[in-house]
Amino acid sequence: MKALCWQGKNNVQVETVDDPKVLNPRDAIVRITRTAICGSDLHIYDGYIPTMEPGDILGHEFMGEVVEVGSEVKRLKVGDRVVVPFTIACGNCYYCKNQLWSLCDNSNPNAWIAEKMYGYSPSGLFGYSHMLGGYAGGQAQYARVPFAEVGPIKVPDGLSDEQVLFLSDIFPTGYMGAENCDIKSGDVIAIWGCGAVGQFAIRSAFMLGAEKVIAIDRFLERLNLARKANADVLNYNEVDDVVEELKWMTGGRGPDACIDAVGMEAHAHSVPALYDRAKQAMMLSFDRPLVLRQAIQACRKGGVVSIPGVYGGFLDKIPFGAAMNKGLTLRMGQTHMMKYMQPLLERVQKAEIDPSFVITHRLSLEEAPQAYETFRDKEQQCIKVVLDPWKEAKAA
Amino acid sequence: MTISTNVEASREQRNSSDQYPSRIARAASVLSGTALAALGLTRRGWTRTTLAASGGYLVYRGITGKAAPYKGAVRVAFTIDRPTEEVYSFVRDPQNWPRFLQGIEMEPGQEGSLKLSLGKPAGLDICSEAIVTDERDHEHIAWSSLPGALQHRGVIRFRRAPANRGTEISVAFEYRVPAGPVGRALGLLVGWDPEQLVRESLRHLKQLLEAGEIPTTLGQPSGARGVKGKALRVIYREREDEEIRLAGD
Ligand SMILES: NC(=O)c1ccc[n+]([C@@H]2O[C@H](COP(=O)([O-])OP(=O)(O)OC[C@H]3O[C@@H](n4cnc5c(N)ncnc54)[C@H](O)[C@@H]3O)[C@@H](O)[C@H]2O)c1
Ligand SMILES: [Zn+2]
Ligand SMILES: [Zn+2]
Repeated sequence: MKALCWQGKNNVQVETVDDPKVLNPRDAIVRITRTAICGSDLHIYDGYIPTMEPGDILGHEFMGEVVEVGSEVKRLKVGDRVVVPFTIACGNCYYCKNQLWSLCDNSNPNAWIAEKMYGYSPSGLFGYSHMLGGYAGGQAQYARVPFAEVGPIKVPDGLSDEQVLFLSDIFPTGYMGAENCDIKSGDVIAIWGCGAVGQFAIRSAFMLGAEKVIAIDRFLERLNLARKANADVLNYNEVDDVVEELKWMTGGRGPDACIDAVGMEAHAHSVPALYDRAKQAMMLSFDRPLVLRQAIQACRKGGVVSIPGVYGGFLDKIPFGAAMNKGLTLRMGQTHMMKYMQPLLERVQKAEIDPSFVITHRLSLEEAPQAYETFRDKEQQCIKVVLDPWKEAKAA
Repeated sequence: MTISTNVEASREQRNSSDQYPSRIARAASVLSGTALAALGLTRRGWTRTTLAASGGYLVYRGITGKAAPYKGAVRVAFTIDRPTEEVYSFVRDPQNWPRFLQGIEMEPGQEGSLKLSLGKPAGLDICSEAIVTDERDHEHIAWSSLPGALQHRGVIRFRRAPANRGTEISVAFEYRVPAGPVGRALGLLVGWDPEQLVRESLRHLKQLLEAGEIPTTLGQPSGARGVKGKALRVIYREREDEEIRLAGD
């Protein structure tokens, strides 16, 4: 089959590789009909995710048709159309039983490496480094899906691939980012990052009762898309101080909750940001936590800082004194996918939301290497790329 | 309650190789540390520091020769979300051993003894015989090695975990590896020091009992791996048939 493989920093290539096989009794093989590129993939692309190796197949947002099942898979059958969540979970451990799916005890074959880094290992993920499982990802024509009865959700007839694809990650991720804010009606929520995750967080915050959402970014097309959802927007390139500006916009109180939907590669040109970049370049630190710093600083007393944006290692100069003395609550984590897929699918079915609104680019797998570059540089007003792994590349 | 790991016979016999500093045991230490450290050193930044530090300790021990012969004490505990009776019976049944033991082969020997073999992944076969010295159903199994090159003794304990979380299973043991081929073979287990072998074995036990299978990527497709990627496939358990030969071998 064809698959998109990581070959080093800023280098991804479409290669011909073996088709995946059932390896364990609870596996299924899915023929992928649509797959997407995520902001998380950019962290890999830019070389910030440890234990990536040349040849690793990327991709964790995919859906398709079941073409083979292992001997222990009863609930799924060949021919089922499914969306596959990016977290892999066994369904039986303490964490799975308590809806903390992205912390599953039993799905990471390389748990010992993660334990060295983090003390304990989170769940395995598709296409997201060896430390987090080393599973071949879904920017490919087929994928092997472990614990296939636990994760994949069957798609009801009448919904298109594009309407349900983002149940694989970004819709639940944005939703959990908002849910973690403990929103009460009338709350004001500030959201850094108007990428796909931010866009879903904005819409979810309104669904959960927020009165006002302030969306922060610098790309106009992204801010415009936020505005379409009735968010107030803040272009951080046009203000001196984001924290002061938020204070001004919230009657001097500060947002009730802040969402960091940017993560480890925050952009800026201020002095602390240059310092972060230098440290990242020297490999002293992987993360540039500029947005997290701002979110903690801006949040009102007793508020919540919710962090769906991904961080990998040690963060420098986090104003922890502010967090402590303002009595903030910090919530974070990879999304507990299986908790959200069914309820959010129902919202899609009831036409409360059509997640395909974020798609700006529809391409073939062959075009993925170029698409990574375009998406990284936010060129061509790119917000979300969806790939059809079976489509022939457009003749050049 | 006292749990005994006493084997009368093993008391008298002292392995003569304990007496002199063992170059080979030192090599063993260097080699098993090297894999972990190598994994760390090929990486950048904090990953490197963390991995190299944990692997580096063994290397350090090896180079400085401070602690020959190669010996240690290991404690590993897991909570398995199954009833204590079930975990205990599963562990007690020899048919299950090959399903979860990692890097250790164990089978029942004569008169209730246990035969262990180590080092197969490195192409060597180091044998040891042990007996159960103390046992109480659903509570503990204590063992001790019989006289031989590889000395070890320890206890497996089973306890009900709080809040209906199943069973806490713990293994605590001591080992001592003298000079000669045993130390060498252990070293060749590239990165799998005794603690790691036991920890991964217990992890597999948990995975089997909770999830019904052990997660794997062994046999999945990948793109071109390059030289370093090929070597790392063993560490990531994507391939088992390729052996890593570290410097000096
Ligand atoms: N927790 C999870 O399970 C999970 C799942 C998916 C994605 N993520 C993470 O969410 C984050 C966003 O993903 P995405 O797909 O939307 O990525 P994206 O790259 O499309 O969007 C990131 C946005 O952040 C903006 N940004 C950069 N610096 C900023 C700053 N200083 N202030 C405000 N905005 C800034 C960028 O302009 C961009 O629009 C990533 O870190 C990704 O890894 C987490
Ligand atoms: Zn994603
Ligand atoms: Zn689980």
